[in-house]
Amino acid sequence: MSKNLVNLNVNPCKMCMPMGAANAFYGIRKCMNLLHGSQGCSTYIRRHMATHYNEPVDIASSSLTEEGTVYGGEKNLKLGLENLIKVYDPEVIGVSTTCLAETIGEDVSFIIKNFYEEHPEYEHVTIIPVQSAGYGGTQFEGFMATLKAIVKNVPMEIEANQKINVITSMISPADTRYLKDLFKAFGLDIILLPDLSENLDGVHKPDYDRLPANGTGIEDIKMMAGARLTLEISNSIRSEFSPGVYLNETYGVPYQRLNLPIGLKNTDTLIKTLARIADIDVPDAIKKSRGRFLDGMVDSHKYNAEGRVVIFGEPDFVMAAVELACENGIMPVVTATGSNCPELEMRIKPLIQKVADRLFIEDYVILNDVDFETIEAEALRLDANMMLGNSDARRIEEKSGIPLIRCAFPIHDQVGGQRIRTLGYDGSLDLLDKMTNTLLRKVEGGFREALYNKYYEEGPKSKYGLETPIITKEVTPVTTNKAMTLEEKTANHPCFNCGASQKNSRMHLPIAPKCNIQCNYCVRKYDCMNESRPGVTTSVLSPEEAFAKYKLVKEKVENLTVIGIAGPGDALANFDETKKALEMIHEDDPNITFCVSTNGLMLPYHAKELADLNVSHVTVTVNAVDPAIGAKIYKFVNFMGKHYVGEAAASILLANQLAGIKMLVDLGVVVKINTVTLKGINDGHIEEVVKTMRDLGCYISNIMPLIPVKGSAFEGLEIATNHEITEIRDRCGLHLKQMYHCKQCRADAIGKLDQDQSIEFRNLTKESEAKEATEKPLRFATISKSGSLVDQHFGQATELYIYDYTKDAVAFKEKRTVKKYCDGAENCDDKEDKIANILRELEDCDGVISMRIGDGPSNRLEKKGIKVFSTYDRIEDAVKNAAQSILKVSGGI
Amino acid sequence: MDPRDKVLDKYSSKVYKNRKEHVITIKDGEPNVITADTRTVPGIMTNRGCCYAGAKGVVIGPLKDVLTITHGPIGCGFYSWGTRRNKAKGDESTKSFLEYCLSTDMQETDIVFGGEKKLRQALKEAVEIFDPECIAIASTCPVGLIGDDIHAIASEAEKEYGITVMAFSCEGYKGVSQSGGHHIANNGLMKKVIGTGDASPVKYSVNLLGEYNIGGDGWEVERLLKRIGYNVISIMTGDGSYATLKNAHTADLNLVQCHRSINYIAEMMKTKYGTDWMKVNFIGIDTTKKSLRDLAKYFNDPELIKRTEEVIAEEEASIAQGIAACQEKLKGKKAAIYVGGSRSHHYINLLNSLGVDTVLAGYEFAHRDDYEGREVIPTIKQDADSKNIESITVAKDESYYKERLTEEELMALRADGIPMEEYNGMWEDIMDGAVITDDYNHFETEQFIKELGIDIFFSGIKDKYVITRMGVPSRQLHSYDYSGPYAGFKGALNFANDVTMATHIPAWNMLTAPWKKTPTLNGSLGGNE
Repeated sequence: MSKNLVNLNVNPCKMCMPMGAANAFYGIRKCMNLLHGSQGCSTYIRRHMATHYNEPVDIASSSLTEEGTVYGGEKNLKLGLENLIKVYDPEVIGVSTTCLAETIGEDVSFIIKNFYEEHPEYEHVTIIPVQSAGYGGTQFEGFMATLKAIVKNVPMEIEANQKINVITSMISPADTRYLKDLFKAFGLDIILLPDLSENLDGVHKPDYDRLPANGTGIEDIKMMAGARLTLEISNSIRSEFSPGVYLNETYGVPYQRLNLPIGLKNTDTLIKTLARIADIDVPDAIKKSRGRFLDGMVDSHKYNAEGRVVIFGEPDFVMAAVELACENGIMPVVTATGSNCPELEMRIKPLIQKVADRLFIEDYVILNDVDFETIEAEALRLDANMMLGNSDARRIEEKSGIPLIRCAFPIHDQVGGQRIRTLGYDGSLDLLDKMTNTLLRKVEGGFREALYNKYYEEGPKSKYGLETPIITKEVTPVTTNKAMTLEEKTANHPCFNCGASQKNSRMHLPIAPKCNIQCNYCVRKYDCMNESRPGVTTSVLSPEEAFAKYKLVKEKVENLTVIGIAGPGDALANFDETKKALEMIHEDDPNITFCVSTNGLMLPYHAKELADLNVSHVTVTVNAVDPAIGAKIYKFVNFMGKHYVGEAAASILLANQLAGIKMLVDLGVVVKINTVTLKGINDGHIEEVVKTMRDLGCYISNIMPLIPVKGSAFEGLEIATNHEITEIRDRCGLHLKQMYHCKQCRADAIGKLDQDQSIEFRNLTKESEAKEATEKPLRFATISKSGSLVDQHFGQATELYIYDYTKDAVAFKEKRTVKKYCDGAENCDDKEDKIANILRELEDCDGVISMRIGDGPSNRLEKKGIKVFSTYDRIEDAVKNAAQSILKVSGGI
Repeated sequence: MDPRDKVLDKYSSKVYKNRKEHVITIKDGEPNVITADTRTVPGIMTNRGCCYAGAKGVVIGPLKDVLTITHGPIGCGFYSWGTRRNKAKGDESTKSFLEYCLSTDMQETDIVFGGEKKLRQALKEAVEIFDPECIAIASTCPVGLIGDDIHAIASEAEKEYGITVMAFSCEGYKGVSQSGGHHIANNGLMKKVIGTGDASPVKYSVNLLGEYNIGGDGWEVERLLKRIGYNVISIMTGDGSYATLKNAHTADLNLVQCHRSINYIAEMMKTKYGTDWMKVNFIGIDTTKKSLRDLAKYFNDPELIKRTEEVIAEEEASIAQGIAACQEKLKGKKAAIYVGGSRSHHYINLLNSLGVDTVLAGYEFAHRDDYEGREVIPTIKQDADSKNIESITVAKDESYYKERLTEEELMALRADGIPMEEYNGMWEDIMDGAVITDDYNHFETEQFIKELGIDIFFSGIKDKYVITRMGVPSRQLHSYDYSGPYAGFKGALNFANDVTMATHIPAWNMLTAPWKKTPTLNGSLGGNE
């Protein structure tokens, strides 16, 4: 999926750098953040933070306008700083840049220097610049880059002290409070950078502090250069953004980097480290807390192996949460970060592999720098049953029903984002309980439908709420004032009765261009004159144009008994047009039989109306009755305005097909089922399809070979041979009547099944003067049963498909009918005459292409100067190859 | 001292000079001139958004079957992803892409070498995945600066894929607020969508303009109109679609709800297709009634007039009891409204009918005509910022132009008090002595809450928590706090219930801990529980 679509991010799993900067500055005492750029950035970020934290969020803007982009933003920035100081009186101002400022190349440090020179009275305000272009990284990098800018720009006092620097990536205020208490429990004197525990999760009090009153003070930050150690609780940030690395390189403060303490091992590591640094025993309360976590792990272990979790978000969170999942035997089938963290895979793969081995799971993915479109596709493919991350995955939850545990920034659809706990033994247990309970809700909810279906009912029908198999009903005629009965109509319908196919004609109206699903074997094109297969038409007509054409065709074509709507898209995806055309024609001739073919997606919504419109015959293409197989056949399904992929798509389609077909049958409509044979995908499953359709009361089944279409996903799929198809048909014939004479018509076919006259009716409205090509084309006769593939023995030919080849273009000319040259021993008497007959038909050809040809006819053809080719291929390709081999010999045109 | 003067007095002289013309006290009988639509003062905590927010976020974003691609780095696309609560529902024939956020996610190299190639590829991929009939490209700040020609790429793509591709140069730095973005989006829809459909005109047909279906408002209004017997051709743009907008020119009348964001289309459609427009207000009981009656008078069909009265009577009766209960609890309260460019005006009447006085009001990004009425438009001076926003002129469309009512008939309607191509602005409903603040900021919020004794504040998420910290209930009127609809009769009751709930939650009475001797909070609060 969009893993390869590098140019389009579909539903981003990341935010931009200034978002990280704004969060980080909220952890500094008496600090205001000013975004240097257009005011939209600060408005958008305030809005998102306020929703998550449920707290006031103030971020100023230099409000750059078009003028600023031309003359530079210095004036606005200085004015902004001045106003900010006057109104808010901050001790610190963080100036973070935006896309705009970085693109026009603003030198913020220089502007700040000028500002101090012009305003010596503001010397007491520490102004910290951060380069945070939106395109420079995600909020994760923005957060850490800001912390680094803070330690870099605050003037440091380098004399040694006994403090410990503690630096974290973005964690919740509640988790921040936990960390502070933890260090206190070990008696450690720390400088926590940043500390947003109070500013973004404040207490209700009558006066609002306009200036964030809490957080890390500048006087503390100043001492960071002299601290005895830096603990950086962020283990995946690149060292160029790491404040710990910077303090080490600049001031020689030793540092240690740790994972976020989520999970037992990660928390143990932190606790052990603290005990070592503090040189005391682990306090009892913490030991107890660990004990309770372990007890909880044991309590829930029996449910967790069912877990197939998707973990997404910032690399720090993903890394640590994967550890928690793995420790508890919950399989992270999809781990993903929207940031770019190439070492993620290397770091977590061994952990995940271990769980996978234990649970015999073969497939899982670790995704770096991805969007939600990819995450969703993988989650569905790998059958995930819960997600862990921020609320941006709520759309997946809504659409695909995978429960989402909201435990990271940002949360937009629930309250309490500021109080989320994930760190330490308590936080981990909280998160683990949530995961286990999500699994339990699924198995213990309702009447345990999943269990019931798995162990009790048979077959897929039960999944969709259908009742016990329906025995084919007596077909009751559609109640209209028609002259012909349904039986007569069926008898006269070329596609439903083989005998009728010889004498009666049908016309397909190409009025339905839109389709609501994408089959992997289909490419809908409107302009291809020479192909004959479903989904192809020369032009799309409006209902009025179609009616006019019908009137004309009716005059000229004998026995026009059937009007069909077969695309080129789906008749029901264009229901208004379908309805209009049918109404007009019915008015004209109530004896005409109406036939509609559809993929069935919208069938339940229109079945009643179809019957009311006097549609007596409906063909539904059903390729699978198992969503897992359907998922391989359908690329997507657009249903009620929503876009579905994978099994979800196939399930919706199937459910509607089944419900719709049942409705049709109940209404007395004759239903034909088309099934495309897809080798290796549904060929073993077709019998199941046919059985299901029989149970629903369908009339006939039509099993067709695949026509491989260039540009379709199944372009390269191996084609089932005629023999194989016949075998499937014979097997299925035991269950339901089979159609053996299908020609896989175009969407604008006219005439009898084996005599498509649609070319004659093309360009009806315009005078068409076919220009004779100046060069004489090469002409080929191809022997085909299906009309799309060279798939027949020369001796079996009853039809010759004549194609011309000119300059790389292959054009269909006409179809010629001949008597079979070989139809078994009995009639072989005047064999000679028959070959002569065929030869006469071939006189103007340069070559004959068939699947096989006997020596006799081959020699006679060669004698006449007609080249013989044997192949099994699409007709167009076969003609092309044959023509090129002739041209090669003759030295080219 | 007048509360206004008291608050402004705290500003430095430089800021005072700027703000004094944006903050006024309404005096009956005076012209009450205000300054609006000018640059925000840097460093002041403004609530305004940017041009991109106006174009993509407000006007284009809600069109459900239009696939909107943000061309730029990831932030802007992300932040405008489903945040406005403009509800929409796809159906059988209309795709809905509203759950998607599509971005070209430009990286540093794209800024350096240009993003055109990436955009072309993104369009290709978008067509492949989503198969849309219409794509909109919205550019963010860096795009205009590095000079990507999105318009050329859009026309290339139109040819290549045979679909409509609109391009909007709505870089965030353009104009002074989201208002410029509205105008740019209006132009694009006029140029590429409206008038391209071939539907046949139907009777009693209207478009609903400037209704973004926040919390389902548009659905409620549409329901009312359909009940009476109108054909709603299109809604711009809440739950709207490319498919319906194409045929907007076939409607007889445009109903303009949000004047600020969409008056450009109303005016251009009048010139190009002869479509009349009428200002309506479906927020509030009296205003909804008036709008429905005005509408019936426009079509002047006795059956329609009769049906209108029936529907009004029925709908009003269904909410009467609920409204009365709320009035009881809300009577005498004082409200502040600060939102949008038309919305602040729309709620004044509704609050009034609940017994609540609006003592402080203001707009984020309105122009002077939204305060003072359209007659001041000729006197508004163009400045450098407004000149930077593209303004297009349209000509009469010979094949579709149709005069609906004659100028005399329109004059007669106006004389009858029906706002045909007229809008009197907020001054129409504001009370004497109210304080008006244009493009206000946090500082003024706090100060005025104290000075004016506000009981409930209607604003947005950005100042909501500041206000509640001060012990004052706050409802968001941008997104309705996950609630709605507020339009029409049933919406009015929803609103009344929400406001009553906000002012009467038990928590307001528990602010003072029982062990505290002296209350720290002064002033009156809503709590009656």
